[in-house]
Amino acid sequence: MSDAYSPNRSHQTWIGAGTLVVAALLAAGATQIPSAAGYAGVGPNFLPWVVAAVLAVCGGLLLWHARSGGWRDVEAPSGAAGGDWPALAWVSAAVLANALLVTTIGFVLSCALCFALAVRGLRLCEGRPAGGIRQAFVDLLVGLAIAAPVFWMFTKLLAINLPGITASGWI
Amino acid sequence: MIDTWNQLLGGFATAATPINLLWAFIGCAVGTGVGVLPGLGPAVTVAMLLPITAQVEPTASMIFFAGIYYGAMYGGSTTSILLNTPGETGTMVTALEGFKMAKNGRAGAALATAAIGSFIAGTIATVLVTLFAPIVANFAVRLGPPEYFMLMLLAFTTVSAVLGKSTLRGMTALFIGLAIGLIGLDQITGQVRYTMGIPEFIDGIEVVLVAVGLFAVGETLYNALYEGRSVATLNRLNKVHMTGTEWRRSWPAWLRGTAIGFPFGTVPAGGSEIPTFLSYAVERKLSKHKEEFGTSGAIEGVAGPEAANNAAVTATLVPLLTLGIPTSVTAAILLSALQNYGIQAGPQLFQTSSALVWALIASLYIGNVMLLVLNLPLVGMWVKLLKIPKPHLYAGILIFATVGVYGMRQSAFDLFVMYGIGLLGVLMRRYDFPTAPVIVGMILGPLAEAQMRNALSIGEGKWGVFVERPMSAVLLAIVVGVLVLPRLMRLRKR
Repeated sequence: MSDAYSPNRSHQTWIGAGTLVVAALLAAGATQIPSAAGYAGVGPNFLPWVVAAVLAVCGGLLLWHARSGGWRDVEAPSGAAGGDWPALAWVSAAVLANALLVTTIGFVLSCALCFALAVRGLRLCEGRPAGGIRQAFVDLLVGLAIAAPVFWMFTKLLAINLPGITASGWI
Repeated sequence: MIDTWNQLLGGFATAATPINLLWAFIGCAVGTGVGVLPGLGPAVTVAMLLPITAQVEPTASMIFFAGIYYGAMYGGSTTSILLNTPGETGTMVTALEGFKMAKNGRAGAALATAAIGSFIAGTIATVLVTLFAPIVANFAVRLGPPEYFMLMLLAFTTVSAVLGKSTLRGMTALFIGLAIGLIGLDQITGQVRYTMGIPEFIDGIEVVLVAVGLFAVGETLYNALYEGRSVATLNRLNKVHMTGTEWRRSWPAWLRGTAIGFPFGTVPAGGSEIPTFLSYAVERKLSKHKEEFGTSGAIEGVAGPEAANNAAVTATLVPLLTLGIPTSVTAAILLSALQNYGIQAGPQLFQTSSALVWALIASLYIGNVMLLVLNLPLVGMWVKLLKIPKPHLYAGILIFATVGVYGMRQSAFDLFVMYGIGLLGVLMRRYDFPTAPVIVGMILGPLAEAQMRNALSIGEGKWGVFVERPMSAVLLAIVVGVLVLPRLMRLRKR
């Protein structure tokens, strides 16, 4: 049993350690906040210290449990045992490219690109061929066909501000 | 009583204007759609649509959001019955018996008992909300900051320690949420906290960003990384119809489910997991057809939990509207929608915004009828949504995620943060951390902090203020009990 979980346990150790690091960062940040307690006796720096302290305890316990037989009552995660990293890279590229480009090339084009990249990654992870230039072009068109009506609906009908590439308000 | 009746009639007058009826209908339709689609839930859908609060007037948007919340529960059961991957936690139990019934060619009966049960439970629960919410609000006016802080503490404890399998991981998730809630301006002194010199952080992190990051982006990344080879089998849909025996077996289960679900929704012990599992256990025990449970699928096992689920979901409106305390993720996001309008949920809401509250309650009656029509005769239409290929579905979700997060405050920086939160979501899902406490923590955290500091100001800096006031002391005892009792019981069992 413990053999099957050993790779997981090293991950658990890392997560415990990571929680401790977050706690330390929060504590470091808390030192920068003045106490300015007033009548209450506790000021704006009180909760930050509490959060840092509790997270430190949680991190410590997670670390300790990971080193002593693994976390308690863990439900096995759904899906494959190993991650499909190339697929994740495609989807990540989709989200990050969108974040980078949305203000320069506008919502419609940027989201179409995001759609095409993400669909490619998600198709790969199903073990299907991602397709060549032709498929990429089709994906881009499908992306456009979703993004454009969404853009019009939210900007024209609901008056939500989304970036366009032209001032016309249509793309 | 007469007063309530008049206000409810006023609510119907507001809710039944053509424009509000249209919002309710769109909300119910969108809700059913996202409930049917795997990978999208009511919480993330309402979150993605929060930017509309900048334009649409509060009554209309609350009616719209409530329709989504409701509709998703109806739609979610369709997916659990036809597809072996339940969407929402509340419909997990429905999947136990419903999927087996569908496999044996009784999908239509399962869908019918789920939809009619949801309608009956939703309507009874709405009547109970109508009767009890004003009473609770009248009582809650007398609560002061110490009591509110204790109620919020109770909500924190139950959402993190009771609901999940591990108190430790639940607490970790809750405090990550509280930490996110700390970023920005302190509500009382205006002190800047944890902005790391980044101007975008001064206004804090939007709940849209965290909800969409954790649920929509996280779900998409998780699917790409781990779920590519998981296959879902779709059951065949047949005529949505129940026989006389099935009616006779369903209705007591509906009523029992409602009776179990409603109380759980009203107390800050939130979520519909406990009542649905409880209802399932009760039906299994009382059923005259025990042999059908887990084998060919028992109709009571669908009828009871579905009713419990809808009753609990409706009942979460009681603490949300009367105390301003959300007990589920969607309720938490509804609270932040109210905050966007500068409306403070709490007992005063029934006085200051009584038109809005009663229109919302009236719209629940109307919404339930709309949903019954949308889900019984038209169920075949929604099932077609399940045929969308997974890559297109998840890639499409990313487009809507962009609308929600960018539309909230027109900042591309937020889209990068959203990706980071998405990665956190993957990690949390993979290593079995609950995500609900993060959202509840980040929304309720700043409110709880303000109540705590106000309470301490009343007590002139002494912590005794929390035990000297009887109500507050009782609530504190309940918090301690909730934390300690399960542990004691476990120790005794050994």
